[in-house]
Amino acid sequence: MASKIFMGDMPELMENILDNLKNEFYSLYSCALVSRHWCKISIPILWQDPFSLYKNSLFISKYFSPFGEDEKFILKYMKNAEISKTLFDYARFLKVLDLYNLENNVKNWIDFHRPYMNSPDYGASIYHIINILLKIFIESGATLHKLELYFSEYIEIKPEVFHSLERNEQFLSRLKDLTLSVISELCADNATALLKVLAKTTTKINTLKLDEFYSYYEPQVFHSLICIINSQEQLRRFIIIGDNSIEFPAKFHGIILALESQKQSLQEVIVQGCICNAEFKVLMKCENLEILRIRNCKYAELLALSSYKSSTLEIVDSPINTSNMALIFEKFGTFLQRLKLGSDNEMVLKRSSLLALKSFCPNITYLNISYIEFSTQLLDLIGNLQKLQFLTLRYLWYIDDVAEEQVMLFAEMLPLTLQYLDLRDCFLNSYIDILLSNCYAPLKKLLIYRLDNEKKAKALIEFSIRKRTLNYVAVSRHSYLNNDLKNTMKEYVTLVPYGCIDVDC
Amino acid sequence: MDGYTSNNASENETITLKSSDGIEFHIDTRIANRYTLLNNWNSGGTYWFTAFKKSACLPNVTGKVLEKVLEWCEHHINDPLPNYDDDDSRRRNTVIDDWDQNFLNRVDQDMLFDIILAANYLDIKLLLDIGCKTVANMIKGKSPEELRSSFNIVNDFTPEEEEAIRREN
Repeated sequence: MASKIFMGDMPELMENILDNLKNEFYSLYSCALVSRHWCKISIPILWQDPFSLYKNSLFISKYFSPFGEDEKFILKYMKNAEISKTLFDYARFLKVLDLYNLENNVKNWIDFHRPYMNSPDYGASIYHIINILLKIFIESGATLHKLELYFSEYIEIKPEVFHSLERNEQFLSRLKDLTLSVISELCADNATALLKVLAKTTTKINTLKLDEFYSYYEPQVFHSLICIINSQEQLRRFIIIGDNSIEFPAKFHGIILALESQKQSLQEVIVQGCICNAEFKVLMKCENLEILRIRNCKYAELLALSSYKSSTLEIVDSPINTSNMALIFEKFGTFLQRLKLGSDNEMVLKRSSLLALKSFCPNITYLNISYIEFSTQLLDLIGNLQKLQFLTLRYLWYIDDVAEEQVMLFAEMLPLTLQYLDLRDCFLNSYIDILLSNCYAPLKKLLIYRLDNEKKAKALIEFSIRKRTLNYVAVSRHSYLNNDLKNTMKEYVTLVPYGCIDVDC
Repeated sequence: MDGYTSNNASENETITLKSSDGIEFHIDTRIANRYTLLNNWNSGGTYWFTAFKKSACLPNVTGKVLEKVLEWCEHHINDPLPNYDDDDSRRRNTVIDDWDQNFLNRVDQDMLFDIILAANYLDIKLLLDIGCKTVANMIKGKSPEELRSSFNIVNDFTPEEEEAIRREN
């Protein structure tokens, strides 16, 4: 007999189960065909974010009703479009709307129905159909959770859509995730009008992302963004990514200062491709800021020193001089638990900074460093991190030839708390047999680039037998090994792709 | 925490939970507090807690199921408390921690569903989530026929309905 979970007695549990399959289109499609009850639960999930699927755009026809006033336009222009009554009101299920994806899908839909349309008609059709769809979504009773705004020349929102928004506040009232990306010069007023509606209607946004941020928008755009920030009850994540196609943005027009209104709730800040300035000092007031990620920024130390109570710090491709780096470690001190320092071409930590890290930050559980010298100071640091559980080393370099003794020493110094070791982009791959033979850490997950000889494979098996902790090994190349050895290895560890066990900061 | 034992609970204090089939379990009050096992004792009326006897009766959970639920709770007693202010903190995907995966792999399908029902009843959100993820993993990649056979579901569509769903999706 079927469990009552599947029989319709507890729809909320069934929904909880199928929510985990949001990105598994074909599995959800199967579920929709199992029974009436399964269909009723899976169809709304299947239609939450249809515009991101890119399978084809014909599904758009399902949104048009044969009785709608606006749809007469569709019939007039798209003679081949099939408009018929559907089993469900699919528009009502929409939770995620990305205007960029909407525009692309509408273009594909038009291309399918009228492949040889001339240019002025084409642009007008895109504009009209996007607006018809927006009106259908708003008036269907849908409640968006995620909205990505993108204003191209085709996306100009008509006044009647704004009127619909006024009459149907539920459409935006439960928005949790808002992204603003490109605003074309032609659409600044239209974009501002929508941002004003968002400032008035939304209070539940958790994540605000300003993508391709541009310092020279019209002042009213910045004003509206500040109003949106101020009107949220609990903004938790703030992401700003500079549009540095010409130059890094250096002016933020009060947007960063506005984060003061979220000082109790803000937990994570990501700043990318920006020139950090004094506005970022406002982060000092954010008492619950746990995660700070700085990527490809200039004057990153200004930002890092403003949020030194965070437990997670990521600094990637953002040069910081040695004395400032030591100061950052001193300030973060015992707060710091997860640290990622990365660069593809520049040394991120000099020996003196390693000493500061060792002295001031003993609570690190996750360490991910790239482009660093394989030195006694590095070994000393790793050996001293007595809470370290995750270690990733990339692009290690060395001045003198590495002796096997140094690798043995490295292996012996790995803390007994270490469970995860990622060496896939590191010369230590070549010494993996020596490393594993001398390692006492109870590794559960190991990521390496290649197992290219029997000696290394046997060392892996012996380590697995000796420590009995190693569950998963991610390796890119092991085709050199004979099948017997591969099969023996599989008796002790599970070989998985990197993506299955990869842990980022 | 609203429950009775929350403020003064010490590590050594225990309370007794009684399953629907009369089996008693003596558990650390920290478990009860952490997983809100007893939070609804006074309001919901579905199970009761007596301040003087420090015991609670769970009429919807059998001894076998309660034993598994408590095994899970004990293992996770020292985990950091998750933030449950909104659903976003409960990441929707099918990734499950190794220990949890092994824990649920050791039970049969009926027990898995009973654990999910118990976790829902007792408001143990993390256990509920991993239970639901496990079932989602069982669903993943299966055809409608395979799903019906795996979970004993009867196809109650008319042929016209089934055809319409295929056509529209």
